[in-house]
Amino acid sequence: MNQERQKTVLIIDDDSNLRKVLVDKLSLSGFKVVGAGDGEEGLNKALEIHPDIILLDILMPKMDGWAVLGSLRSDEWGKNAKIIMLTAVEDAKAVAKAVEDGSFSYIIKTENSMNEMIEKIEDVLGSN
Amino acid sequence: MRKNSITKYIITSLCIFLISLSLFVFSSGLLKNFFGDPNKYINSHFSAEDIRFFILNVLLIFILLLISWIIYLLLSVEYRAASIAGEETESITISLTQFTKLYEESPVPYVILDEAGNINDPNKATLRFFEASREEIEGQNLFYFCSKEDKEKSEKLFEYYKSDMPINKEELQFNTKKENQKFALVSVFLTKGFGPSNKGLATIFDITERKKLDKAKTEFLSLASHQLRTPTATIKWYADMLLSGSLGEFNEKQKDYINTIQKVNQNMIEITNTLLNISKIEVGSIKPEKKLVNVKELTESIFTELNPQISEKNLNIKKQYNDKLKNVEIDPKFLKIVIHNLISNAVKYTPEGGTISVKFEDSSQGRMIIVSDTGIGIPKAEQDKVFSKLFRAENARNVGTSQSSGLGLYLVKSLIENMGGNIEFSSIENQGSTFIIRL
Repeated sequence: MNQERQKTVLIIDDDSNLRKVLVDKLSLSGFKVVGAGDGEEGLNKALEIHPDIILLDILMPKMDGWAVLGSLRSDEWGKNAKIIMLTAVEDAKAVAKAVEDGSFSYIIKTENSMNEMIEKIEDVLGSN
Repeated sequence: MRKNSITKYIITSLCIFLISLSLFVFSSGLLKNFFGDPNKYINSHFSAEDIRFFILNVLLIFILLLISWIIYLLLSVEYRAASIAGEETESITISLTQFTKLYEESPVPYVILDEAGNINDPNKATLRFFEASREEIEGQNLFYFCSKEDKEKSEKLFEYYKSDMPINKEELQFNTKKENQKFALVSVFLTKGFGPSNKGLATIFDITERKKLDKAKTEFLSLASHQLRTPTATIKWYADMLLSGSLGEFNEKQKDYINTIQKVNQNMIEITNTLLNISKIEVGSIKPEKKLVNVKELTESIFTELNPQISEKNLNIKKQYNDKLKNVEIDPKFLKIVIHNLISNAVKYTPEGGTISVKFEDSSQGRMIIVSDTGIGIPKAEQDKVFSKLFRAENARNVGTSQSSGLGLYLVKSLIENMGGNIEFSSIENQGSTFIIRL
């Protein structure tokens, strides 16, 4: 990973504590990390910086994760963006969408450990 | 009415008295021939004709008295019968008034249904329930009154009704005339006593308030557990970070403390998961989704997850799998929660060195998963409450107090029943418990 170009991860999550620990962990794992505190800010940042991967929370103020996903998929760059949904609960919609969309996966916050999260990010980044 | 009958008796008795008196006066006129001449007393000269006449007169009086007595008897019997009939009529009238009052004023909605299931004679509570006037609901089919959500169920119940089957406390959702949703437990008793075309008496027991409270409780439960998940996830990932060593090494005591934080937080996550699952089941937002499941693999993954606790207590695990249970059409998430709960309970409540057995059976009695242990067991007096919410056996309170919510077995039973199966158990205190799931 370190020999390659440093990959950018955009974290869109309204919980600042969770964002903080994710930024630390991903930075320590060699990623360049950008954070956004709500859906609207996240969408704007995504369209601006074109990150390699986006970690997207579902329940957020202003614009929820599904709305951000919809807007991204209707954008020329965003339609192929690699996205991982962050969910608090195993969400049937997230599972179904992840299956039909190869560039899309999901992380259940209470069930997946940080190392599992890194593995999922690398899996999605490795897929084309 | 009783006063009335006494008056009749008095009048009858007076009539009889007057009849007897007139008879006496009449007959004494006849006797005058005999007693009229005082010389006859003095001389005691009675001719044979006098004696015959005397006997004839006495007989005549006797016969007339007898006739009047018979008339009296006949009259009194008639009066008594009339009075009893009157009393009965009175009591029927009272009962009818009472029944009508009860029927009309009862807080429970009642309707009489005709053979086609149409509403007749709705009582006041029914009008309140449907928020409608008598004219608006009379003649309408009770079963078509149900809301769209219960259309299928109400049609099925209507079929039952048409085939003369009683309906007992079936929960149905109705739309009132003011478009409000109401819930009721509907029972229909079939009876022939309500007129020629009427067939049943329906009670529509309003449970709307109860349902609202239930919904509010479940929504609160869902919201609370949902909201608790984000902070627990945050704690989990912070502890993960500390334990990974990427922020520097900790001494053993510090590591032990962080591990404890992680473990307690994990319990909290499990409890919120259970609460969330219960609220989902109660609200009906999760339904089993059947897939082909390898039950053996699923059970093995649970043993892997629980391995740290199993090793810590040095428990013996006996497994007896059946190949037929490799491909079972069932909801994997539901089944995992069920088996996980049963095995983790066995682990929790079995003392060090004990044995836990998991056995799969596929016989004429059906497919079974049997989880047994040599644990503390459930006291006999508490066994009927095992599957109730927040149950914790007295002897279990002293074991792993922070590790149990008392909701696990309630959830297990709800999930199994949701999948169309059932669960039973046997247990002897201080010897162990066996749980049998039939799929």
